[in-house]
Amino acid sequence: MTQLLIKNGFVIDPLNNIHGEVVDIGVKDGKIVPPDDVDLRYAKVIDASGKLVVPGGVDVHTHVAGPKVSVGRLLMPNDHYKKGGRVVAIPGIKRSGTGIAVPSVTTIGYKYARMGWTMVMEAASPPLYTRHTHHELDDTPIVDKGVNLLLDSNWFILEYIEQKAQERVNAFIAWILEATKSYAVKLVDPGSAEAWSLGVATKPLDVDEVIPGTSVTPKDILVALANAVRDLKIPHPIHVHANMLGIPGNYVSTINTIKAVADIVNQRGLSIHLAHIQFNAYKGDSYATMTSGAEELAKLINTLTGVTFDMGQVVFMPTVTMTADAPWEYVLYHITKWKWAAGDVENETASGVVPYTFRRHIYTNVIQWGIGLELALLVKDASKVVISTDHPNAGPFTRYPQIIAWLMSKKARENEMKKLNKRALKRLALPAIDREYTFEEFVLTTRVAPAKIIGVEKFKGHLGVGADADIAIYDIDPRTYDPSRDYKKLVKAIKYAAYTIKGGEIVVKDGKIVKTIYGRTFYTKTRTDPKIMHEVLEDIKSKFNEWYTITFNNYTILEQELHKPYAITPV
Amino acid sequence: MSKTVNSLNLILVTGRTILQGTKVEEKLTKHYEEYAAIVRMHPRDLAKLGLKSGDHVKVIGPGGEVIVKAQRGADVPEGIAFIPLGPWAECVVEPKTDSTGMPGFKGIPVKVVKTGEPITSLSKIYGYNGYPILNLGVSLDIEAKGEIKRYTDVVCPFCGSLCDSLIVNVYGNRIVKVVNACPLGMSKIMGIYENRVLEPRIRVNGELVKVALEEAIDRAAEILVNAKYPVLYGWASTSVETIRLGLELAEIVGGVFDHTATFCHGPTALGFHEIGMPKSTLGQIKNRADVIVYWGSNVTEAHPMHPSRYSFTSIGRFRKGRKDRKLIVIDVRKTGAARNADMFIQAEPGKDFELLVALRLLVQGKELEAPVIAGVPREKVVELAEILMSAKFGVMFVGVGLTMSGAKEKNFEELFRLLHDLNTISKWVVIPMRGHFNVTGADLVTIWITGYPYAVDFSRRYPRYQPGITSTADIFLREEADALLNIASDPLAHFPKKVAEKMLKVPIITIDPKWSLTAAFSEVVIPSAFVGIECPGTAYRMDDVPIRLKKIVEPPPGVLCDEEIVRMLLEKVKEKLGVKK
Ligand SMILES: [Zn+2]
Repeated sequence: MTQLLIKNGFVIDPLNNIHGEVVDIGVKDGKIVPPDDVDLRYAKVIDASGKLVVPGGVDVHTHVAGPKVSVGRLLMPNDHYKKGGRVVAIPGIKRSGTGIAVPSVTTIGYKYARMGWTMVMEAASPPLYTRHTHHELDDTPIVDKGVNLLLDSNWFILEYIEQKAQERVNAFIAWILEATKSYAVKLVDPGSAEAWSLGVATKPLDVDEVIPGTSVTPKDILVALANAVRDLKIPHPIHVHANMLGIPGNYVSTINTIKAVADIVNQRGLSIHLAHIQFNAYKGDSYATMTSGAEELAKLINTLTGVTFDMGQVVFMPTVTMTADAPWEYVLYHITKWKWAAGDVENETASGVVPYTFRRHIYTNVIQWGIGLELALLVKDASKVVISTDHPNAGPFTRYPQIIAWLMSKKARENEMKKLNKRALKRLALPAIDREYTFEEFVLTTRVAPAKIIGVEKFKGHLGVGADADIAIYDIDPRTYDPSRDYKKLVKAIKYAAYTIKGGEIVVKDGKIVKTIYGRTFYTKTRTDPKIMHEVLEDIKSKFNEWYTITFNNYTILEQELHKPYAITPV
Repeated sequence: MSKTVNSLNLILVTGRTILQGTKVEEKLTKHYEEYAAIVRMHPRDLAKLGLKSGDHVKVIGPGGEVIVKAQRGADVPEGIAFIPLGPWAECVVEPKTDSTGMPGFKGIPVKVVKTGEPITSLSKIYGYNGYPILNLGVSLDIEAKGEIKRYTDVVCPFCGSLCDSLIVNVYGNRIVKVVNACPLGMSKIMGIYENRVLEPRIRVNGELVKVALEEAIDRAAEILVNAKYPVLYGWASTSVETIRLGLELAEIVGGVFDHTATFCHGPTALGFHEIGMPKSTLGQIKNRADVIVYWGSNVTEAHPMHPSRYSFTSIGRFRKGRKDRKLIVIDVRKTGAARNADMFIQAEPGKDFELLVALRLLVQGKELEAPVIAGVPREKVVELAEILMSAKFGVMFVGVGLTMSGAKEKNFEELFRLLHDLNTISKWVVIPMRGHFNVTGADLVTIWITGYPYAVDFSRRYPRYQPGITSTADIFLREEADALLNIASDPLAHFPKKVAEKMLKVPIITIDPKWSLTAAFSEVVIPSAFVGIECPGTAYRMDDVPIRLKKIVEPPPGVLCDEEIVRMLLEKVKEKLGVKK
């Protein structure tokens, strides 16, 4: 296999206490090795002098694969006709693709790699459809990946919660993660899919409200699933799209969501990851009066060590929203009045897809834009923050370089604000915030924090010996270059990495794809009490034929169905 | 008795029948002619022509003329002529696609004339003028002997219902019994021993001669590499794993990738692009639906297990069978399900759009002025709208009756708008009734790899999509294609004759387990094994649920799975093009 020696780069690797110094990095057999272990007779030497060398980027929350993503693609042929998303095939080097807001799988893999990202987590997959999600992930080039599994409206789990049988919830989750080769536990507007299926979800469901057709509340679900994650030692804490998403005044629900599970800490010290927090940080009682709840949320998060979030940062452009929060998408459809698709999944979940354009002159959109940045800048510890757009909900992931520039440069924010709705800017705290992220904070929010939340920080998110050789090299030198002033250079440098190395292979050079390889799919294999597992399996089998339309045996996804499965077994 | 006429102007509807469905893979047998070379007409229309069942008639349509046997069809309304899908129907249908990629298969004006001439032979249809069409299909003689195995949870590789609880008994390598399958699935699984192709062949001096697999692959690769604009067509009856490779092959040869959605639910996708639709998995219907509508779908003939597994007679968590549900059938003729329905709406062919508009007006609380809509009295339309609005959980199962006729994709735009409107009042979803067992998978793989569902053109090395231009029928009508790769399909039998005539002018490569009409006219024939019987693989059900198909028995010696064949072909093409590994 390829051996590499990356010489003279300016390295930022916080997990190994390298906060910006010139260090050589050796790569052999896909792993990072001491530079001396590289055999220079066979190695390729990369001269990284004057360049920034960091671990490969990790995306903790992005909608890149599975049924609703393909629904989004089918809904938006207009998105694929655009020239900007077009990838022209070069036989033997790269496959073709299309799309800007909802790109095809190849375009997704390539565009992440070109920015220096090497691992992405699909944000929400319905269990019954997860075979589809894996098909798409298998066809997504370069990056490693994993699946967040939608479990909040699952009939079995709801029943076990009603029975107050936590150990059954645990066994069920252990079974279904392995059966669907999924990685983490995802909750989306807990309980709302069940209400949606009854056709009664005209009003959003708050954390303490009883879910129609059941006797449980979203809070009960949050607690039961957080307990399960702790008990089963699942690396990733519960990954939560909180109730009331998108509704003015919802920051209170978000605070209640955090408080419901703040005391339930997994073995890695984490309680909850809040997905795309921007959408759940609204004050006010209507869209006309909506303001930012970022200060209140940041204050709470600053006091808690086990709470992390990704931004869900808005960028101004046409995009497509897609979520398992079917009721919210239906509300949004009535606001946008254009296209709407929805997909109910028997016994498990639901979804909706609606195209949407964030506009600079719209008051609400500008408030939303401000909230994401306020949260990232008001939360003191950047290792609780992950950069995301909730791709493609608040915009495509390809705009991360722009978001990084907004975080690292007040001037970049000010230049953007010149173009924005003035009334909205007056209601935001953002114009008064002076903080600018350092390069180390850039690395924390795009590498270290997501790797730690996912629970793969042993081999991702750092450049120590033994780590996966996933490396990004950017053509900027933090010693001589001030991103605060010349932020456009930063955007360009991150958009087109000088090199991206994935698993020890050079896949991007000078911002261009030079090689197509395929990464692994991580999934969680936990252990649980065999006696209870047996009971639960018997219960599942006894109801399966009535509730589902495929057989229990056909539900299970075999390891051999995935191209490169990689089981993580918690210890 | 009124006096008879010599010719009658009728509206042609083509469609599936169970008998034609069970014989669909054996087109070169005499039986097939009995099922497919017929026109079914209302008894009064027969009488007008002075015909009795069994007499021959000439049917003349926009695509040409054909002589078939007239049959009495009590379920066929007056004014309609029904011909089962197949080569005879293809002689008269409208080949033009109105920029949708979908030729006109339903609602086509035709003239029916009494004749004493014999039924048009297949040989004549395909320009052989009396010479029999080459049939190299053989029966496999596999003894039911040896180890007895019983496979459960077997997935049926026939239609988009993908029933997955079949039980198959095997003695040695012979399937001896299939349980829980419908007649269509049963005849496919039990019929794998008939009409097989066992050896690869290539055409040498006009003759199809046996060659080694490598030689056939080489010749196929040669054809594709030399073609400027090849069409790679079929795919709906093979695995997702194969389709993926097919897309890469199309990309690398700069051809067009198209599959059978181009003329089943292509217009559904076109409508979806504009409006979007609320859909659901079939379990939601089984567990919750209290109002079930079949629109333009002959469910009992095309998807026989659908009602009991997923729909009006299914037993789910909250709805227990037929008594808990209202069944509504909207169709141009009284189908099997219609006889069982709580309400049957007989719409005039091609007038679905009008009916949809009327329903939307009613759902929006407006009045209807016209006394009759699409041949349906106003009172009945009002009654229908009221049932739709009072549903707790309603579903529209839509079939090709809606995609193939009248306004085609405009029907779907209006249908989806109706669904959007209905959802403000109650809860409604729509599920297309997909035909081939993996046509949904073919859609989805194409979507995730290219962004588009079918008819994807790679001639500029990136995906482009314009049904009506980049769709198979249109490309051949314009005579632009210069090669055809046909996998797991029989395009010469299923495209309008005017299109098939153009296909015959280019070299054809056929990859298929069975001998077919298209095989008979191919340059290269590569036998393959049956996905879901002799090969594993994944398929997507009509509601997009992916299911893993099983391998039950070994394929005949030397016969490979589609996936391996297409991979070999891809490698060979890369080699010829000098693509580095
Ligand atoms: Zn999300």
